Amino acid sequence: MFLTRSEYDRGVNTFSPEGRLFQVEYAIEAIKLGSTTVGVRTSEGVVLAVEKRVQSPLLEASSIEKIMEIDTHLGCAMSGLTADARTMIDHARVTAQNHAFTYDERIKVESVTQAVCDLALRFGESVHDEEAMMSRPFGVALLIAGIDELGPQLYHTDPSGTFVRYDAKAIGSGSEAAQSELQDKWHKQITLVEAQTLVLRVLKQVMEEAIDHHNVQLAQVTTGKGFEILDETRLKEVIDSM
Amino acid sequence: MPDMVNLSAHSQQHPQQRQFNPYTENGGTILAIAGADFSVIAGDTRQSEGYSIQTRYAPKVFRLTDRAVLAVNGFAADGNMFVKKVRQRLEWYRHAHAKDMPLRAIARLIQTMLYSRRFFPFYVYNILAGIEEDGSGAVYSFDPVGSYEREACRAAGAGQSLVQPFLDNQIYFKNQKAAHGTSHPAHLPLNTVLSLVIDSFTSATERHIEVGDGLEIYVVLSKGRPMHGLEGLRGMEEVTTTNDGERVFVIRRDLKKD
Amino acid sequence: MSIMQLNGGSVVAMVGKDCVGIATDMRLGNQALGISSEFQRVFPLTDRIYYGLPGLATDVATLRERFRYRVNMYTIKEEREIEPETFAHLVSSTLYEHRFGPYFVEPVIAGLSKTPSGGLKPFIAATDLIGCLNFAKDFVVAGTASEKLFGVAEGLWEPDLEPEDLFETISQTLMNAVDRDAYSGWGCTVHILTKDQVITRTLKARMD
Repeated sequence: MFLTRSEYDRGVNTFSPEGRLFQVEYAIEAIKLGSTTVGVRTSEGVVLAVEKRVQSPLLEASSIEKIMEIDTHLGCAMSGLTADARTMIDHARVTAQNHAFTYDERIKVESVTQAVCDLALRFGESVHDEEAMMSRPFGVALLIAGIDELGPQLYHTDPSGTFVRYDAKAIGSGSEAAQSELQDKWHKQITLVEAQTLVLRVLKQVMEEAIDHHNVQLAQVTTGKGFEILDETRLKEVIDSM
Repeated sequence: MPDMVNLSAHSQQHPQQRQFNPYTENGGTILAIAGADFSVIAGDTRQSEGYSIQTRYAPKVFRLTDRAVLAVNGFAADGNMFVKKVRQRLEWYRHAHAKDMPLRAIARLIQTMLYSRRFFPFYVYNILAGIEEDGSGAVYSFDPVGSYEREACRAAGAGQSLVQPFLDNQIYFKNQKAAHGTSHPAHLPLNTVLSLVIDSFTSATERHIEVGDGLEIYVVLSKGRPMHGLEGLRGMEEVTTTNDGERVFVIRRDLKKD
Repeated sequence: MSIMQLNGGSVVAMVGKDCVGIATDMRLGNQALGISSEFQRVFPLTDRIYYGLPGLATDVATLRERFRYRVNMYTIKEEREIEPETFAHLVSSTLYEHRFGPYFVEPVIAGLSKTPSGGLKPFIAATDLIGCLNFAKDFVVAGTASEKLFGVAEGLWEPDLEPEDLFETISQTLMNAVDRDAYSGWGCTVHILTKDQVITRTLKARMD
C-alpha cells in the first residue's frame, strides 16, 4: 500500500485514481499505534477496558484519561490520537444533552454514534466561516458503549466515519491478538463479572508490562447505575479475581 | 417667493399611526381527558372571526402518530402552521432515530418549538393526548410560549371557563366527598369519559356563540386494550396506520349550528 | 378593571320541583385583595322571596335599603305581600331609572309565586345592571364567575329536582364555578325555598 504512495496522499479530500483517500487510510493506520482498548457487551451491560502506557515512573498514571463519560447512560473508550477524541466526545456530549433538552429522553446509542461519525468526515471543510477548519481526519478510533431501549450496545467508529456494532471489539496496537481472543471467549450468556475479567485477561495478554491498577482502566455501563469508571479498589478486586 | 411650499389648511400633514395586527382569535374549544389505558381528545369544528362564521368544518384536532393526537386552539393560521412544523419534526426524528417519537418527547419538543418563538409567539393553546411508553393514557397542556404540564384533563379555548369547572367536578370529583370507606376513582371508564366530553360540548355550544357546528372526538387506545364500549358507536371510524400497536379512532358528531 | 369586578362575588338561582334555590359566595374583595369572608349579598325580602345583588358592594348596601323601603311602601299601600314577578319588575324599573348612571349590580331573584288555584310556583329572574329582565325557566347566574356558572349549571341542572337534590346541584354548581374564579369564593351560602320552609346552609368550601 505504501508503495503506491503518490501525489494523491497529500490532499485530504482528493481521491486517488484507484478510488482511495490516502489521508483517511493513514489515519486508520495511526490507530494501530495507539494503546489497546477492549469492549465487551453482555446482557447486563457493557464493559470497557484500556491499557495506559505509563512511559515514566514520574508520570502520574491517574492523569491518563482514555475512558470518558458522554452521558449518564453512555461511555466511550479511545485508541489513537487521544487529543482528537476530545473534540469528538465534546460533540457527542453536546448532542446527547441537546437531545435530552429537546426530547426529554436519553439519546439512543446508535444516534450518538451517528452524530460523532457525522463529524469525522468534516475535514477539509469549513465548519461555519472560513476561520474554523478541520485540516485532517481524526486519528482516533472510539468504542462507544451504552444502554437504551434496545438494551446494552457497543459501537466502534473509525476515522472514515464508519460505525459498526459489535458484541466484543478490540482496537489499538494489540487489537489483532486481542480480537481473536475475544472471538474465542465471548458467548451470548456471558455475565458482567465474567466480562470484567475477560477484558482484563485479554489486555494482560497483549500488554508488555505486568497488569496492575495503575496501567489499566476499567469502566462499565449497566442498567442500574449507568456509566461508571471503576475506582482503584474495585479495579484491584477484579484484577485479583483474574 | 415661488419656491416655497404653500401649507394650506387642507394639505397640512398630521402625524398618523398605522399598525399591523398579526393575530386573530378564531374561537372554538378543545378538550382532553386521560384514562388509565386510553385518552380522549376532542374539539368543535366551528371557525369564526368576530361575529362571522368562516367555516362550519375546520378541524382543530390532528392525529400525529398512532399514539399521539394534538389539538390546537386560538389563531387558526398559527395553529395549522404549528401542526405542520410538529409533523415535520416527527418525520425528521423518525429518520434520525428509527422510531416514532414517544409522547413525552413530543410534549418536550412542542415546548422547545413554542419557546423558540418567545418574542413572536404562535398564538395557540395546545393540548396533546395519547399513550405514554408505559401504556398509560396521558394529557399534556401548553400555553402559547411553551409552559406545559401533564394532567388528567384539560379544556382550552373560547369555552374553557364553561367546561373546565364542570370537568373539575366530574373528573377530579372536586367538592365531592366519597362515601364513607370508599375513595374516588383516579381514572374513569371510556364510556363515562365519552359522555362527559359530549355533555361538555353541548353545554358550551348552548351558551357560547363561538362553539358549535361539529364535534370531532379522537380516542387513543393503549396497545392490546379491548374495545369494550367503543365498537359500533355512531359516527365512529378507525384511523390507525399500523398493526399491533396503539389504536386511534375518531368519532364525528353534530353540534347545534345556531 | 371594570367596576363590576372591583369587589367580586357571584350568585346563582335554580328552579326545582315546587322549590327554588339561590346560592352565593361570601367574598368581599378590593381587586385582588380579599377583605371579608362574611359578606352578605343575598337577602330575604319576604318568606317566599330571596334576592342576590352581586356587583359593587356600596351599591349592594344602597339598593338593599331602597328595595326594603319600596317593598314596605308596597306592602302598606296594597295591604298584601309582594309577588316575586312584581318584585322583579320593581327591581327592573328601579335600575332603569338610573339608565345613564347605573348601580353596578346584576340582581338575581328567586321566589315562590302564588298561582290562581292557591298553589305555589317556583320563580327565578335576573337583570343586568340597567334592569333588563331575564325570566329563565331553568337557572340564572350573575357576578364575576357567571361564565363558569353557566358552564357547570348547563352540565348539572335537570328539570324537577326535589329540594335536597336541588340543594346538591346548586351547591356543586356554585362551588366548582367559584373555585375557578379568583374574585369569587371564600365561603358559600345556599337557600332552598319550599312551600313550608326555607333551608339555609353555609357550605364547607375552599377558602383560598
